[in-house]
Amino acid sequence: MKTSLHKIWLIVRSEYWRRVRSTAFILATLLVPVGFVVVAAAPAALGYLADQGSRRTVAVVDQTGRLGDPLAAASTEQLTFRPVAQSPDSVRAAVRAGAYDGYLLLPDSLLDGTGRATYYSMQSGGLTDQIQIEDRVGTVVQQQRLRAADATAAVLSILESDASVRTRTIKEAGTGADHTFAYTAIGYVMAFVIYFAVFVYGQYVMQGVIEEKSSRVVEVIVSSVRPFELLMGKVLGIGAMGLTQMVVWAALVTGGLAGAAPLLAFFLDPASLGVPADASSAAVAEAAGLTVPPVPYALLGWFVLFFVGGFLLYASLFAAVGSAVEQQQDAQNLLLPVLTPLILPLLFLAFVLESPDATVSVVLSLIPFFSPILMMLRAAITTVPVWQMLVALGLLGATFVAMIGLAGRIYRVGILSYGKTPSLREVARWITYR
Amino acid sequence: MLDGPSPWPWSFSPWSFSPWSFRADRFPRMSHLDVSNVTKRYGDTVAVDDVSFDAEPGRILGLLGPNGAGKTSTIRMITYIAVPDAGTVRYDGRTVGPWSQQRMGYLPEESGLYKRLEVKEQLVYLGTLKGLSEQDAAERAHHWLDRFDATDWADLNIEELSKGMQQKVQFIATLLHDPSLLIFDEPFSGLDPINADLLRDIILELRRDDRTILFASHRMEQVEQLCDDICLMADGEVVLHGNLRDIKQQFGRNTLVLEFDGPDTFVDELAGAGRVRVNTRSAHRAELTLADGTDARAVLDVALDRTDELYRYERVEPPLNEIFVDTVGEAEAQRMQQPPAASAA
Repeated sequence: MKTSLHKIWLIVRSEYWRRVRSTAFILATLLVPVGFVVVAAAPAALGYLADQGSRRTVAVVDQTGRLGDPLAAASTEQLTFRPVAQSPDSVRAAVRAGAYDGYLLLPDSLLDGTGRATYYSMQSGGLTDQIQIEDRVGTVVQQQRLRAADATAAVLSILESDASVRTRTIKEAGTGADHTFAYTAIGYVMAFVIYFAVFVYGQYVMQGVIEEKSSRVVEVIVSSVRPFELLMGKVLGIGAMGLTQMVVWAALVTGGLAGAAPLLAFFLDPASLGVPADASSAAVAEAAGLTVPPVPYALLGWFVLFFVGGFLLYASLFAAVGSAVEQQQDAQNLLLPVLTPLILPLLFLAFVLESPDATVSVVLSLIPFFSPILMMLRAAITTVPVWQMLVALGLLGATFVAMIGLAGRIYRVGILSYGKTPSLREVARWITYR
Repeated sequence: MLDGPSPWPWSFSPWSFSPWSFRADRFPRMSHLDVSNVTKRYGDTVAVDDVSFDAEPGRILGLLGPNGAGKTSTIRMITYIAVPDAGTVRYDGRTVGPWSQQRMGYLPEESGLYKRLEVKEQLVYLGTLKGLSEQDAAERAHHWLDRFDATDWADLNIEELSKGMQQKVQFIATLLHDPSLLIFDEPFSGLDPINADLLRDIILELRRDDRTILFASHRMEQVEQLCDDICLMADGEVVLHGNLRDIKQQFGRNTLVLEFDGPDTFVDELAGAGRVRVNTRSAHRAELTLADGTDARAVLDVALDRTDELYRYERVEPPLNEIFVDTVGEAEAQRMQQPPAASAA
C-alpha cells in the first residue's frame, strides 16, 4: 500500500506543534539549562562565598626568629600572617579575646627539619584554611632552609620549576593540542545524551500511542489514514520535538556558560586555580571548568545523525509496545526486549573508553542497536575511519527499515485490541495477521 | 506540494467519470455499499464469517447484534481500518481503500478525541486528515458548531466538556468533510433528549440528501424508529437482512397487546401452558407473542373470562425485539441487553 506523504506531514505537524507549545515543554526546555549552568557554576560560586566569609588574621609566634617576616610577606587577602613578640600564653589569651582568628606556633626545631608547626584556633576552620596555611608555611620554611644551606640560584630555580607533561597529538594537518581529557568527557556526555534522549523521547512516543489508544481517538484517525502513516507521523513529530529541545538546550547551556564564565572568573582567585594572577578571565574560567570545550562540527554532525537513527529505531519499537497496552504500567514486560539492547551498551562503555580501537570495540560499535551510543563515544575519543561511521549508519538505517516494518504490523493490530494485556508471544503473532 | 489538498487518487479513476458521479459537489453521492462474503479471523477466532449485505443511498441500514456478533469487525472492514481475510467490501463499485476513507464518516461507539486539544483545532485536524484544506475545515467546523449551538466551546479543551458535548463534537467531526457514506455506532449515547432529537433530525436530513447511512445500535426502539433496512448479526454471521417493513410482514401479526383491569394470573397460565410468550408486562398491560398453533381468539376468550375489564385487544406486527429473539434465540437476545464490554479487536 502506498503511503501518503501528505498525511504523514499533517500528522507530524500536529504532533509537533501540540507538544512544542505546551507549558510543560516550554518550562522543561528553559529550566533544564538554567539548572545545568547553576550546577556547573555552583562549586566556584560557593567557593567564592566561603572565601568571602573567611578573612582571617593569624598571629605568628616565631621561635626561630627567621620565619616571621617572610610569612607576613606571603599574606593574601583572605589570610594575613602577623608576627607577634608575645609568649604563646598571652597570644592564646588574645585569640580567646577575639583579636586574632588563631595563632601559629613555629618551634625552633622547625628549621632543622625535626619540629612541626602548630596552628591553634577557636574553630577548627575549613580544609581550605589548613591547606593555605600549610602551603605558605611549607614554602617559607623550604626557602629559609635552602638559604641556610647556601643553595645556589641554579638549585633554587630547579626547585621552583614544575615538571608537567604536555600532550600533543600528531594529526595530518600538523601537531595539534591534545584534549584527551576534554574529548573523553565529550564522548561520555554524547553517549549519555543519546542514551537519555532515545530513552526519554522513546517513552514519549510510547505514551503518545497509549494515550491515543486509551482515549479511543485512534479509531477515528485510522478511519482517515493508514496506521503506518500515523505511526511514522507520530515518531517523526516527536523526534522533531526532541531535536528542537536538544538544540535549544545546547544553545542555552553554551550561551549561559559563555555569559556566566567571565562573571564568575571576576570573583575567582586565579592563584587558587594555579593560573597566573594576570591571566585573562577566559583562562581563569577554563581552569575552573566553566567552559564548554570546542566540539568539532563534524562530530556534532555525526551526533545528530546517530541520534536521529537511534531514536527512529527505538521509537518505532516503543510505539509497538505502546500499541499493545492500555496503561503505561502494563508495558513493563513488553518493554524488556526494547530496553535491553538500549541499556546493554552502557555496560561496554568503560571498555570502549579504555581501548576504543580494539577489534571488540569496533565490532560492538557497528552493531545497529548499540552504534548510536558506542560509535559516538569512539568518534569523540579516537579517530574513527569514515567508512566505519558510514557502515554503522547504513546498518542502523537498514535495521530501522526492518524494525519499523515489524513495529507497524504489531501497531496496526495493537491499537485496536482492548482487554487483557497480551504476552510477548501474542504480540509476536500479530506480525503474521493479515 | 505538501500544503493544501493532496492529489486524491480516485479523481483519476474511471469510476469517477461514471454518469451518476457528475454532480455539482465534490463527491458523487449516488453510491452504494456492497459487502460480499467477507470473513475476518483474529488468530483462531473467527470474528466475521462469510458476511454479505448491502446498503443503499438515501436509506438507513440498521446493523444489529449482541456483543461479539462481529458488528465492530465488520464496520472496521467497511472503514478500511481492517482488511478482510476473504471476500470484498466495495463502495461505489470499487474495493474500499484510502480513497473511500476520504468519502466516509465514521462515528465509533466510544467517543475518541484528543483530550487536551481545543475543539476547533481538533475538528480542523481531523478535517485535514480527510483531505480538506485547513481553511475549508475551519469554515465547516464553524458552521457545524453554530448549528449545534456550540460556538462558545470552540476554544475549550475536550476534557473540559461534558460527555454529551464531546459526543456532539465527535458527530461534527464525522460530518465535516461532507461524506457520502456515514457509519454511526451508538450515536445517541450520552445525549440528552433535546440533543438526541437534533442528531436524529440531522441523520434524517442526510438520508433525504441521498447519503448511504449505517446505523449500529443495540437499542431496538431507536433502530425501529430510524432504519429502512436492517441487518441482524449473531456469532459473526448475518442471520437476517432486508427491508424492515417486509421483515415485519413476514413475521405476520403474531403479537397481541392486551390492556385490562383485574387479576393478571391468566397471563402466567397461558405462558405456563406454552401457548404464548410474554414480551413485556406490567400490572394492567401485557404484550404476548402467540406460540405456533395458538389461536388468537382463544387468548381473547381467556382474557375476557378472567379479567374484570378488557380495554384493549389488538393483533400487531411484532416489535423488532421479538423478531430478534425469534431469530437468534433467548440466550443471544439476553446478551444484547448487556452493556457493551471491551472486546478484543
